[in-house]
Amino acid sequence: MTTPLWELVNICKAFPGVRANDGISIRLNAGEIHALLGENGCGKSTLIKILSGVHQPDNGEIRLNGVPLTLGSPIDARTKGVATVFQEFSLAPTLSVAENIFLGRYPRRGPFVDWARMQAEAERILASLEIRIDPRRLVGSLSVAEQQLVEIAKAISVEATLLILDEPTTALGAHEILVLHNLLRRMKSRGVAVLYISHRLDEVVELVDTATILKDGRVASTAEATRLDIPSIVTAMIGTSVDEHYPKEQNATNEVLIEVEGLWSAAGARGASFSVQRGEVFGLGGVIGSGRTEIARAVFGADKITGGRVRVAGRKLRLRSPRDAIAAGIALVPENRKFDGLFFNFNGGPNITSAAIGSIRRLFLLNKSEEARITTNYIRDLEISPAAATKFVNLLSGGNQQKIVIARWLFAQSQVLILDEPTQGIDIGAKIAVYRLINQLTARGCAVILISSDHAELIAMSDRIGIVRGGAVVETRPASQITHAHLVQASASAATAA
Amino acid sequence: MTQPSAFKRLAGQEFFGPFLALLIISLFVALTTPSFLDPQNFRNIALQVSILSIVAIGSTIVIITGGIDLSPGSMIAFLTMCLAVFIKNQGMDLGPAIALTLLIGCALGIGNGILVAYVGIPAFIVTLAGLSAFKGLALTLNGGTPAFSLSEQLGQVFYGTFLGLPLPFFYVIGSYLLFMVIMEHTRLGREIYAVGGNENAARLSGINVARVRLIAFSFAGACAAFGAVLLAARLNSGSPNYGANIELQAIAAAVVGGASLAGGRGRVVSSLIGSLIIVVVQNGLNLNAVTTSMQSLTIGLIILIAVGLDVWRARLGRGLARLTGQRTA
Ligand SMILES: Nc1ncnc2c1ncn2[C@@H]1O[C@H](COP(=O)(O)OP(=O)(O)OP(=O)(O)O)[C@@H](O)[C@H]1O
Ligand SMILES: [Mg+2]
Repeated sequence: MTTPLWELVNICKAFPGVRANDGISIRLNAGEIHALLGENGCGKSTLIKILSGVHQPDNGEIRLNGVPLTLGSPIDARTKGVATVFQEFSLAPTLSVAENIFLGRYPRRGPFVDWARMQAEAERILASLEIRIDPRRLVGSLSVAEQQLVEIAKAISVEATLLILDEPTTALGAHEILVLHNLLRRMKSRGVAVLYISHRLDEVVELVDTATILKDGRVASTAEATRLDIPSIVTAMIGTSVDEHYPKEQNATNEVLIEVEGLWSAAGARGASFSVQRGEVFGLGGVIGSGRTEIARAVFGADKITGGRVRVAGRKLRLRSPRDAIAAGIALVPENRKFDGLFFNFNGGPNITSAAIGSIRRLFLLNKSEEARITTNYIRDLEISPAAATKFVNLLSGGNQQKIVIARWLFAQSQVLILDEPTQGIDIGAKIAVYRLINQLTARGCAVILISSDHAELIAMSDRIGIVRGGAVVETRPASQITHAHLVQASASAATAA
Repeated sequence: MTQPSAFKRLAGQEFFGPFLALLIISLFVALTTPSFLDPQNFRNIALQVSILSIVAIGSTIVIITGGIDLSPGSMIAFLTMCLAVFIKNQGMDLGPAIALTLLIGCALGIGNGILVAYVGIPAFIVTLAGLSAFKGLALTLNGGTPAFSLSEQLGQVFYGTFLGLPLPFFYVIGSYLLFMVIMEHTRLGREIYAVGGNENAARLSGINVARVRLIAFSFAGACAAFGAVLLAARLNSGSPNYGANIELQAIAAAVVGGASLAGGRGRVVSSLIGSLIIVVVQNGLNLNAVTTSMQSLTIGLIILIAVGLDVWRARLGRGLARLTGQRTA
């Protein structure tokens, strides 16, 4: 065998109570896109953090062109040719896009920062990614998707022999993913080794040349052994085969539960109208920035409503805050679990009861044994990790965290559930669990509004789909009459319209 | 999973670290300073701790919401002057005078709360302004001079006994029990922790975030007012200089006791342990005739160490997790 460009040999790394990496070996060749796959918590991010100098391995060796080396710090790794897009953002929100891209290595003229050159360079890099963002804007004012793109721009702005991307596409839409894939293919033809992590297997099999699959910190399937088709990847990932990725049940009734009419919000809903029946899943498709999240937040009373009406079960609502929406039986599982969903200072129980805490009172006091009982029940019913009962939720995997946020609204007995990118960043097993939960909800007569940038998921799990453009629903059709091409086309026309 | 041993359960409690620190510091002071163990000295410590620990409850609750309160020191100065004026100049009876003082304290706290929660000015700025403004208010009363010998019975409020125990003992136990129940066993307490933990998630869970913040500041006002009444009773006087720097000691007590300045973490009971640590250190320095300037310096260092610990707590927590074998999922 030829010497690979980069090689990891028998890498071990333990955290308190977990062996995150337990003897992992991987060979990364120049001009090859290599996928690193596996369930939540199997050790992918830990491995790339070792390769990026963030963590030091307890054991094992990193080799560049066959020569062992140590990567003592992120800066050390960068100078030795490793560029990384981390799963958690590492951007400074109060600095401009250009400053973030060149953070720590501003171009200089004499002792001064050469702002003009920095600006021009940043524009060039953003253009290569087809990103239309003014480099002078503050990163804090960008959407999650835009921040992700800046993060990628930052990584590719340095000359690297190894480019690592840890779930770069979770927040991106179809169009942005396409652009990113093209860029990665160009990098590959220039001889860069690319290591790519994603839970969206359809895009993985499109893009990569080879894949290593991890399970519980060990290699479950080596690059040589992995066959690049979704069923065999899934089998290697979770140990068993899955015959139904989208276990969709038809539960729609004829009874309209929620009607949204000409809804405007200060944040970006612009005359959105749609209605959803009991037992129905209504999907919202559209590009990043089309206003799906803004419509969801307006219906939930989270953004100020400036016009239009929302009716639930025929009753007109006054939505001044999420409290009003919750009282009317509306729930929102937000796009960003970390910032808008979870209380990291609580374990699972208080996270589940937070939206209906009033219902576990005995006179003035909280009935904590009742809360514990409820928590145990949800842990059992939704197959949440038992650790959720006692551990702070930041220690749980993404899938378990998402189930906890959904359990919150089950406990609040919500009738209308808005799920904004509910399977973002969670593994295939947890995704299927979320689909089953959607079925349970609709079987019970709830209405579900599903926002997803994963077209296959959106089409498979929805009964009807509304295409969103400019903060309004411009077209509604049965999901059976919508194809991936449709959604892409809708995206494309929206992109040119924008 | 096996049942953790009693020791591990205790070690897992948030207040275990501060409690251990208190034991070690007390032991050190006791070994180096024999007069520390004198019963009279214990009495002094207890009396001093009573006022600080009650003020610290309010500071802790505000810190748990993710805010900070710099105003209780000046508030106490103003309120002791109010009480003095009510009794001495207005000739009010003790009961109504005390009740009115407590009410004014709550009102000032609510004022802080309105500015923070509804007007949207950062807590640091609002209470920094309060620190200056309340002191100013105190100086407008009684010509800006202290008022002594307020009333014969006022001293009894502090020095009186019940069932053979000094009254401050009951004040402390009562306040702590009340606020521990509120913080750990009521909906309001849960909402206070939720707001401190993640304000966005709290709002999206239907919690009235502004109302929660307002209530936290009103609690802080009430605790400061209680402290002011006890201080005035202890010294049978009111003065614009009373309460100086107590806000820093209270914040230090909260943080030393384990509250995180980032919000969402910390327990009311820990601020009692934190107050004891501060007072024992101060007492040890006093007994060794350390100058006030050095004492100031020491308290400054304690605050620095405590806040440093807050910053390092994440790493310490990981170390502790290793010890107790916590597992992630
Ligand atoms: N800094 C840390 N301290 C303690 N435990 C950690 C730390 N980082 C990761 N872990 C644990 O190590 C294991 C592997 O985590 P890692 O983040 O590598 O998973 P992952 O494969 O990237 O998962 P995901 O797909 O959800 O991103 C998990 O059990 C996680 O809880
Ligand atoms: Mg990861």
